Amino acid sequence: MSSHPTTPGARAHTYDAIVVGSGISGGWAAKELCEAGLRTLVLERGRDVQHLRDYPTALANPWDLPHRGRLPRALAQANPIARKCYAFDEATEHFFAKDAEHPYVQEKPFDWIRGYQVGGKSLIWARQTQRWSHHDFEGPARDGFAEWPITYDELAPWYSHVERFVGISGNRDGVEGLPDGEFLPAWEMNDAERAMAGRIEGAFPGRRVVQGRCAHLTEARPEHLAQGRGKCQSRNLCYRGCPFGGYFSSNSSTLPWAARTGNLTVRPGSVVESILHDDATGRASGVRVIDAATKGVTEYFAKVIFVNAACLNTNLILLNSKSRRYPAGLGNDHGLLGRHVAFHNYRGSLNASLEGFADSYYSGRRPTQPMMPNFRNVTRQETDFQRGYMVFFSAARRGWTRGQGAPGIGAAYKEELTRPGPWGIYMMMQGETIPRYENHVRLSADQRDPWGIPQLVTSIGYTDNDERMIRDFLAQGRAMLEAAGARDIRATDDRRNPGLDIHEMGGARMGRDPRTSLLNRWNQFHTCPNVFVTDGAAMASTGVQNPSLTFMALTARAARHAVDELRKGTL
Amino acid sequence: MNRRTLLRHAAQLAAAAALGSLPHRGWSALPRPDGWSASEEALLDAIGDTILPATPGSPGAGSVAIGRFILVMTADCHPPAAAEAVRRLLAEVTTRAQAAGARAFPELPAAERERLLVALERQPPPARDGVAPWRHVKDLTLLGYFTAEAGATQALRYDPVPGAYRGSVPLRPGDRAWAT
Ligand SMILES: Cc1cc2nc3c(=O)[nH]c(=O)nc-3n(C[C@H](O)[C@H](O)[C@H](O)COP(=O)(O)OP(=O)(O)OC[C@H]3O[C@@H](n4cnc5c(N)ncnc54)[C@H](O)[C@@H]3O)c2cc1C
Repeated sequence: MSSHPTTPGARAHTYDAIVVGSGISGGWAAKELCEAGLRTLVLERGRDVQHLRDYPTALANPWDLPHRGRLPRALAQANPIARKCYAFDEATEHFFAKDAEHPYVQEKPFDWIRGYQVGGKSLIWARQTQRWSHHDFEGPARDGFAEWPITYDELAPWYSHVERFVGISGNRDGVEGLPDGEFLPAWEMNDAERAMAGRIEGAFPGRRVVQGRCAHLTEARPEHLAQGRGKCQSRNLCYRGCPFGGYFSSNSSTLPWAARTGNLTVRPGSVVESILHDDATGRASGVRVIDAATKGVTEYFAKVIFVNAACLNTNLILLNSKSRRYPAGLGNDHGLLGRHVAFHNYRGSLNASLEGFADSYYSGRRPTQPMMPNFRNVTRQETDFQRGYMVFFSAARRGWTRGQGAPGIGAAYKEELTRPGPWGIYMMMQGETIPRYENHVRLSADQRDPWGIPQLVTSIGYTDNDERMIRDFLAQGRAMLEAAGARDIRATDDRRNPGLDIHEMGGARMGRDPRTSLLNRWNQFHTCPNVFVTDGAAMASTGVQNPSLTFMALTARAARHAVDELRKGTL
Repeated sequence: MNRRTLLRHAAQLAAAAALGSLPHRGWSALPRPDGWSASEEALLDAIGDTILPATPGSPGAGSVAIGRFILVMTADCHPPAAAEAVRRLLAEVTTRAQAAGARAFPELPAAERERLLVALERQPPPARDGVAPWRHVKDLTLLGYFTAEAGATQALRYDPVPGAYRGSVPLRPGDRAWAT
């Protein structure tokens, strides 16, 4: 098959731009490119999921679900990896890729949680969104393991750009390590959390407790109503798809917005196998697609290509994009493609109880929780581990489940369980991990997936640095909970596998130096400038923040650059 | 709040028309799993109704088809050892009921049923293959009852569309816990 769009058939397969993947980052690429007037083809391996129409469980009451949300055993056994994700249940399983259908090779254990459908994981993310600060961009160079080619100040306007459209709730807290954004009203803390926050801040000068920020419309502004989205109704059934458009997903927001320009074509069921490189021009000419159902092969062509298949699939596609010029994968002259993969360290958590506040309750269900910006190694190295972690915690009154495993029978037992129980506390870490050369993904030499594409091999593990960070968090978490007046504190290292954080990043990292990085400051390949990678694969480090807001900002910024370069004729 | 009220809330949205066409699956109680009799199901209803009896304002677990729920969950969501555990519990309950002079547990007066289960909870049949019979049935009783419509909306408070979150709400005497 030719990779030059000269025949009539090829012309029908030619667009201005191709976006691979329709999740959080691909949706943003599509929106920005379509708005700029580019005829844009979004290739999505999964099925179509239309806002509202394809949310079959969105209105189900607990009793409408045959197993009340619990996983039937057959489904659980068939999905030993996906089921580890807390959000995978009877009401949401249709939005998760099934283990058996999408095999990969775990050279080291890696729980790869995937959403293969139009909208990708934007339907099933937890929607927590924080900006990176200048510390996060500058820290890796200080610590000598990576060098970001952009600064916080360069990204800040793009954070604003995406925040306004997405709708992010939060307080303007004035915290240097978590810059304020364009916020909708914040969610409230409850009485117990407010008291805990005051006690922790009092006992640990310099540490801050602020309310979480999330992609929920606490207020629907004109730009959200124009998307057909309304105020979040505090149902907290988000992982089923929201009929109110209360939270941000590609399906409720960026994709319909892009479609309205008339420039968007979305092709579900299109598994991108590789990017086609034209050795004569030194540019990518298009992509090769395998039909998910028929397995027929097609090619599509465009002037610019955005790769947004989510971190590891983006790595897989790039590694599989072999040409005479790039025998080891696109842009991979130095063997660094697939290397320096990192993730977030979620292993440490604490449970406790809190006395008092017996007359205090809350109403509605809140999609966020209080958080603490990183307080470790912020401006200089201070501990026996590198980098730091954020802390999240919440307080809630225990419900009827406290009766499970507790003795009791009869009317008094039942009546007690119908009242709000004592307060329980949950606290967790979100730690930065260091992208190491050894932590990598590569193509399997002999194993293929059902579409004939080499399977991905994951070779990603923890280091002693991570272990020391966990110990520090568990000690600090205990001290903070004690200061907050908590009792019965139980600390846990759940020893979960990498991947279950679902914040995998790296493999095609950005950087100034083409000898040590794949992408430049605009997320373009140093050596193949019409291919942009703007999902997690581009990240040179992980920060301590939830990553997706940064993926969105990078995507919008890169799309603007692509459009500018196209207009100048330099792409 | 019912589905109609929910739709009225959503009608404030431009998207309401599409929402009205959301498929509403006709979920109903599933059939009794193979290998179980109506009297075994009734015995589970009676056990469940003794653990969580009717109280002012809300019915007991026996009236939310708790027996069917326990059997369906045991068959569909638990390892085979769980079915064995349910059988052992039913046998134990029947033996104790007969020792108390009844033909079967459901025939005992409520106070005696309660006394029997209190004693059984102190000395439950041992766990086998990782499943403790009493704990298994009791946990499913709680789950099935508090997520059933009557349990969620009458024994607890259920609000499918709260509309907002309020972090500080005074708890008055008699206020029930939220179901979700
Ligand atoms: C339970 C859960 C909770 C989370 N919580 C948060 C959170 O609170 N905050 C946060 O920031 N992030 C969170 N995340 C992570 C977040 O979902 C991801 O960071 C985000 O979705 C990444 O966006 P993306 O566009 O890179 O990938 P995705 O949204 O995964 O989209 C990638 C798309 O590419 C498609 N694709 C893959 N391979 C191919 C191929 N070969 N050809 C064609 N299409 C392909 C996929 O089907 C998918 O639709 C969470 C994730 C989960 C699952």
